[in-house]
Amino acid sequence: MRDNRHQIVGVSVQGQVSCPEFPTLPASPYTIGADGTPQLLLSAGGIVYNVRVGDSAYGWLADSVQPGVSVKSPDFAANQALNTFACIGNEAIVVSGRATGERGTVVGKSGRFAEHVICHFADGVLEELAVEDKVLVRAYGRSLTLLDQPEIQLKSISPALLDALEVESAGGNGISVPVVAEFPAFLAGAGAGLLAESGSLQIQSDDEQALREHRLHELRLGDVVAVRDLDSRWGNGYRQGAMAIGVVAHGDSPRAGAGPGITIVITAIGNQIRPTIVAERNLATMLDLASPARIGAQALDVG
Amino acid sequence: MLSTNREQLVEVAVYGEVWPPAAGYNQYQATSEGKATVGLGMAGIAFTNRVGDPAFGWEADHLEPGVSIRNRLDGPEHALHYLACIGNEAVVTSGSCTGATGVVTGAHAHIMVDFEPDAIELLAIGDRVQIRALGTGMRLLDHPDVVFHKTSPRLLDGLRCTTGADGKLRVPVVAEIPSHLMGSGAELMADYVDQDFMTGDRVQIAELGLDKLRLGDLVAVRDEDHTWGRGYYRGAVSIGLIIHGDSAWTGHGPGVLDLMSSRSGAIAIELDPDANIAWQLGLREPSASIAEPGSMISSYAALAAETKEGSQGSA
Repeated sequence: MRDNRHQIVGVSVQGQVSCPEFPTLPASPYTIGADGTPQLLLSAGGIVYNVRVGDSAYGWLADSVQPGVSVKSPDFAANQALNTFACIGNEAIVVSGRATGERGTVVGKSGRFAEHVICHFADGVLEELAVEDKVLVRAYGRSLTLLDQPEIQLKSISPALLDALEVESAGGNGISVPVVAEFPAFLAGAGAGLLAESGSLQIQSDDEQALREHRLHELRLGDVVAVRDLDSRWGNGYRQGAMAIGVVAHGDSPRAGAGPGITIVITAIGNQIRPTIVAERNLATMLDLASPARIGAQALDVG
Repeated sequence: MLSTNREQLVEVAVYGEVWPPAAGYNQYQATSEGKATVGLGMAGIAFTNRVGDPAFGWEADHLEPGVSIRNRLDGPEHALHYLACIGNEAVVTSGSCTGATGVVTGAHAHIMVDFEPDAIELLAIGDRVQIRALGTGMRLLDHPDVVFHKTSPRLLDGLRCTTGADGKLRVPVVAEIPSHLMGSGAELMADYVDQDFMTGDRVQIAELGLDKLRLGDLVAVRDEDHTWGRGYYRGAVSIGLIIHGDSAWTGHGPGVLDLMSSRSGAIAIELDPDANIAWQLGLREPSASIAEPGSMISSYAALAAETKEGSQGSA
């Protein structure tokens, strides 16, 4: 499939290793579950040592856990650029502190206000990282387009991820995309009405039976999924015949309307996207996260 | 007559001021069809629009009918948002219209208050409006599985709910909205502002007849539990109020403000074309509406309907 990667400009965006945040006193620290139960749970962000891409999206005692390292800029405008331009599969480089020079990979985006870019680093790097260490992302992939299917929008997707997704022409102006699950729009919750260029769209998990019916109960962080009738071209919203492909970026939440969040990577409205269900489709293997530096470098070598 | 705990409720004053519309340096927003628009519709005094008017057709985004107020202090602003209930009495307490009374009809980015137009001819942005907040904590003694949000005793009386033979609370509504159309606002708690129903699929909205809804209409959503937050839960039922107008943005549309919810499904839906708070609260007569619902189509809705029809059957 032909694309325009030779025209894409790579640019630096930068943030720093974030710290989980809680509302200041006297605000309640509790997450209110869909059934009204207050729970004290880890909030998203920071360096998460023991949850990685490839692990389960469910079961963690944390609200919307983000695997690995969540990066954010303290400057609002710079953070908007970081969250808008960074693409999944881009190279993330530690540029201050003890881990200076270590390389990782962008694996997702999250947050209601799209505040975090989620990066994977090898375990040894996590040991060396400190909160506020600077992380530079080589943003590369914005405006990537399939030249023969211009109506299909690509978002937050690096050329490396596009290659790894194994998107294939499916006749006419259609494409096929391997995914582990395809689910109906009524399970899409928080993130509706928000922009799809950053942040996440959450899979509602309050109704466990509905999750099981659509094979969503065994999702892993990094899995590729499809949302039926979701138009994510200019924001996330319902439209019959549309389709959106996303990557599971963060874990489950007990809150109503919330659950594992996906970062949108492909969308179209006219039945052009045809998901094919496969047993395994996860960033950990697709991007070979055992040696992440190579992926970013590959992407920037193109053209 | 439904028995309530209303004699236990506490009435308290909260306040705001008539809030100016705001625009940014780059005010353009992308519509669901990828066109740039400049939004108008939120805040200020909506001279042309009151509750009871059509929710669709205006060349406006998130139209807030009547007078929009908020408080410039963070704490009092949240008190205004959480405590003001639909049907509460409002009174102007500064400026030329001091003493004019109105009624709370919605909570969105601002609290919306309906006044008789003659009473607010000289109302100015910045004039203070005080609300006698009453309703928080209200419940029905015989319907413990139904939770209320932002419902004043006056509104409850106006809704004309009854107890069915099956023991469920029967609530008259104008229409049902399918859960898959519930959009922006899923991330918020049910006591805070509203959740839009999504109108990007104009063909489906017309098929369902939802483009004929009015501001102030009561609606029901099955399989949505809005007891605490807002989310899909099979068998639950939620009742909402259309508080603001349609939108050109993806994932947005008229706002549904939560009034009641039952996770166990203890609410029965009764269709009633007259279930609108403008007449239920005696604010207006249906004949006073500025236009008939469905008689107008906005430019952005027309464009979206056209492209939807064009895209069907392709690929």
